[in-house]
Amino acid sequence: MDAWSLLSYLAFFSVFAGIFAVMALGLNLQWGFTGLFNVGVAGFVAIGAYTSALLTGAPDAERFGGFGLPVLVGWLGAMGLAGIAAFIVGVAALRLREDYLAITTFGIAVTIQLVALNATWLTGGPFGIQSIPKPLAGWLGTGLAWNLAYLAIVLAVLGLMWWGLERLVASPWGRVLRSIREDEAAAASLGKRAAAFRLQSFVMGCMVMGLGGALYAHFVGYIAPEDFLPILTFQIWAMLIVGGSGNNAGAVLGAVLVWAIWTVSGGALREMLPAAEQARGAALQVVLIGVLIAVILVVRPRGLLGERATVSRHAGVSPPPSAP
Amino acid sequence: MSAALEFCAIEGGYEPGLPILRGASLTVAAGEIVALLGPNGAGKSTLVKAAAGLVPIWSGSVMLNGRDITRVPAHRMVREGLGFVPQTENVFANLSVLENLQLAAALVPKERRGSLDAMFALFPDLDRQRSLPAGRLSGGQRQMVAVARALVASPSVLMLDEPSAGLSPLLVGVVFERLKAVRDTGVTILLVEQNVKAALAIADRAAVLVEGRERLVGPASELADDGRLAGLYLGGGVH
Amino acid sequence: MLQLIADGLVVGSVISLGAVGLTLTYSILRFANFGQGEFLTWGAYLAVSALSLTLAVTGGGVMTPIEPFSFGWQLPVAMVASAALTAALALVLDWALFARLRRTGSAITLVIASFGAALALRNLLQFLYGTLPEYYTREIQIAVRLVPRGALGDVMGGLRITPDQMLVLGVTAAAVIGLHVLLTRTTLGRAMRATAQNPALARVAGVDVEGVVRATWVIGAGMAAVAGVMAGLVGQIRPGLGFELLLPLFAAAILGGIGSVWGAVAGGLIVGLAESFSVPLFGAEYRLATAFLVLIAILLLRPRGLFGEKA
Repeated sequence: MDAWSLLSYLAFFSVFAGIFAVMALGLNLQWGFTGLFNVGVAGFVAIGAYTSALLTGAPDAERFGGFGLPVLVGWLGAMGLAGIAAFIVGVAALRLREDYLAITTFGIAVTIQLVALNATWLTGGPFGIQSIPKPLAGWLGTGLAWNLAYLAIVLAVLGLMWWGLERLVASPWGRVLRSIREDEAAAASLGKRAAAFRLQSFVMGCMVMGLGGALYAHFVGYIAPEDFLPILTFQIWAMLIVGGSGNNAGAVLGAVLVWAIWTVSGGALREMLPAAEQARGAALQVVLIGVLIAVILVVRPRGLLGERATVSRHAGVSPPPSAP
Repeated sequence: MSAALEFCAIEGGYEPGLPILRGASLTVAAGEIVALLGPNGAGKSTLVKAAAGLVPIWSGSVMLNGRDITRVPAHRMVREGLGFVPQTENVFANLSVLENLQLAAALVPKERRGSLDAMFALFPDLDRQRSLPAGRLSGGQRQMVAVARALVASPSVLMLDEPSAGLSPLLVGVVFERLKAVRDTGVTILLVEQNVKAALAIADRAAVLVEGRERLVGPASELADDGRLAGLYLGGGVH
Repeated sequence: MLQLIADGLVVGSVISLGAVGLTLTYSILRFANFGQGEFLTWGAYLAVSALSLTLAVTGGGVMTPIEPFSFGWQLPVAMVASAALTAALALVLDWALFARLRRTGSAITLVIASFGAALALRNLLQFLYGTLPEYYTREIQIAVRLVPRGALGDVMGGLRITPDQMLVLGVTAAAVIGLHVLLTRTTLGRAMRATAQNPALARVAGVDVEGVVRATWVIGAGMAAVAGVMAGLVGQIRPGLGFELLLPLFAAAILGGIGSVWGAVAGGLIVGLAESFSVPLFGAEYRLATAFLVLIAILLLRPRGLFGEKA
C-alpha cells in the first residue's frame, strides 16, 4: 500500500472513529454520568441519520421529504427529532425501575428498524436513501481532499461536543446528576426533580447520538436500515466500556480502539475465510466483541481509563453499607 | 454455666478500611437473656449480623456452643443452631404465615425441625392467620411470625435485632413476654435493643457497646440503676 | 375474527412460556436478562441437532409421525435433551459471567453483560448453524376445522387449527401448571419465592441462595428451550427466532407484573392476541412493533403490571 492510499485509508478510518466517538460521548452522558442504560442507541442514531437525509436531500417523487435544506439545518433537525423521540421514551420509562429504560429503549430501536424497513414512502424501505448531500463536495470533489475536510468537520463537532459535555458535567447541573447516580438518598430527596434531571440527561445524550447519525449519513451519502442494526448499539457500548465510562477521554479512546479492533479483525477474517464463509466470519466477529465486553466487565469494570475523580457505584464497587 | 455464644475480639465492617466493629467481645451463657445496648451507630446490629454471617468479620472469632462459626456461610447458621431475627423486613411478605414456617422448617435437618403446631400454640394469634400473606399482618403479628420462623429451626441461641422497633408499648410488652416464654423452653437469647427500659426488664445481663467495643457488662438489675449507662448514651467515656 | 383469536393464542402461548421463564429469572436474579430470547433460539437449534442425532441412531434418519401430529416420538426426546443442554448453557454462562458480576457490580451491569452475551450467543449460533431456516419436520399438516362450517354461520365457521398448534397450547398449560405446583408446594419453590422477595432474609432462614439461583437458571432456560421448540414446531427455526420474541417476552412479563407466573401467562396471551389483531390493522410487517406499543401503554398506565406486587 503506497503512502497516498494509506493516508486515504487513515482519513476514512478516522472519520468513522470520530463519528463513533460522538455517539459514545452521548452514551457516556447517559450511562457514565447519569447511570441510564440505553439499549436503543442504534434507533436514535437512525432517527438522526434519516431526519438529516430527508431534510437536506433532493426531492424524490417516490418518497416524502427531500427538502434540499442546508446540511447544518439537517443536523439540527437530526438532534431535534432524536431529542423528541428520547423525550417520549424517557417520560414513559424513566420514572420506573432503571432496567425498564433498557427494555423500552430496546423496543424503540426494534420499532425504528421496522419503520425504516417498511415505511417505503418515508425511508425508502430496504433500499434506503441515496445521494445524501456531502457538504463542501461541490468545491472539493469526493476524493481524499473531501475526506480530509470532512474529518476536520467531524473532529470539530467532536471537540465541540466534548467541550460542551465537560462544561455541563462540571456545572451545578452535572453535580446534581452525579449525586443522583451515586446516592439513592439524594435521588429520593430530590423526588420528582431527580426524574426531571434524568430525563434531561437522557434527551441530551440521544440528541448527541442523533447528530452522530447525521454525521454518518452525510459522510457515506447512503443509508439503509441495515446500517442501524442492534450491532451498532453493541459497538458503541463496547467502546464506552472498554474506554471507561464516566470519562469522556475514555469514551473517545474506546471508540478509536474498538473501531480499530473491529476493522482489523474484520479484515483478517475476510482474508482468512473463503467467500462462501464470509457471513459466518462476520458472525464470529460479533462473538469476539461480545466476549471482549464480558471480559472487560469482569476483569476491569472501570475500563482502560476508569472514571476520573469520583468513584462510580456502577463500576464494580459494592453498594454502600446500610446504617448499622 | 457454659458459654452458648462467645464473641472474641471481633473486628469487621462492610467495606475494608471502614471498621464498624473494633474488637468487640461478649459471652452469652446458656439459658440467659442478654441485652445488647448502646447509642446509635455503636455497632450493635452489625455485631449480630456479623455473627449471622451477613457482615464480613476481618479478625476475631465467634463460637457457638464451643464450635467456631466465624467462617460459616449465612445460610448454614440455622443448621449450626443459631437463629436470627432481623429488625426490618423480617418475614417473607409474599408467602403465607404457614409457608413462612414451612419453609424455615424444611431447611433444617429432621432432628432440628420444630413442630408447626407448637409454634401456633406459642403464638395463638397466628393460628387464625395461617393462610394470609405475612405482608398483610400487623406489625406485632409480623414480629411474631419472624420469631416463630427462627424458632421452628430449633436454635440453641436466638439473636433478635430490635424486636420492639415500631411497636406500641403495649405490644412491646406482649412480644417480650413471649421472649421470656421462649427462653423458658431452653433457648438462649441475645437481644439488641434501643428500648433500654424494656430490655433491662427481661434481660438477665446486659452489655453496652460504644464505637464497636463493649464498654460496660453486668447484671441487668444493677445496670438499670447505674449512672454510667446514661453517660455512655450521651457519648461520655467510662473508665 | 375467530381465526385471529386462535392464531393469537398459539403465538401467545409461546410468548407465555418464554415470559414465565423471564419473569422468574427477573424476580430472583434481579436483572432484566436480554439473553432469555437466545435461550429460546438455542433450545430450538439444539433440538434440531438432538433430533437428527436421535434419528440417525434409531430410524435410519426417518421420523414416522404419530397421528395426528406432524412428528414422531423422537421430537419430544430431542426437546428434553435440548432443555437439559440449554439449562447447562445457562449455568455455564452464570458461572463464567453473571456470578462474578453479582459479587461486584450493580444490577444494571448484569443487564449490560446479558446484552453482550445475547449478541455473542446469537452470532455464535449463526456461525455454527448458518442462516438458512430449519424445520423439525417437513410433514404438511391438515388444519382441523374446529367449528363446522354452517353450524354457527360462515362468520364463525372456517376456524382452523392444526393438531400441532393445539399441542403448543397444551404444552404451555402443562408447563405453567407444573411450575405453579413447584412454586407453591415444594421447598425449592418456596425458597425461590422467598429469595425473590428478600435474599438476605432467605439466607438467614437457611436458603442456599446460590443454589436457588442455579435452580432458577435451570428452570428459566429449560422453559425457554421448550418455548423455542414450540415456536419451531409451528414456524421456522431461524437465528433471529428468539431475538424477535424478546420484546414480546419483556412486554408480557411486565404486563403481568414481574415475578407473577400467572401474570406472565396472561401477559403472553394478551401480547399474542394484540399481535394477531394488529395484522389486519397495520399490516404484517409491523407485527413486531405491537409488543412495543403494549409495553409503552403498560408503563404509562399501570407500571406495576396487572398482577404485580410492587413497582
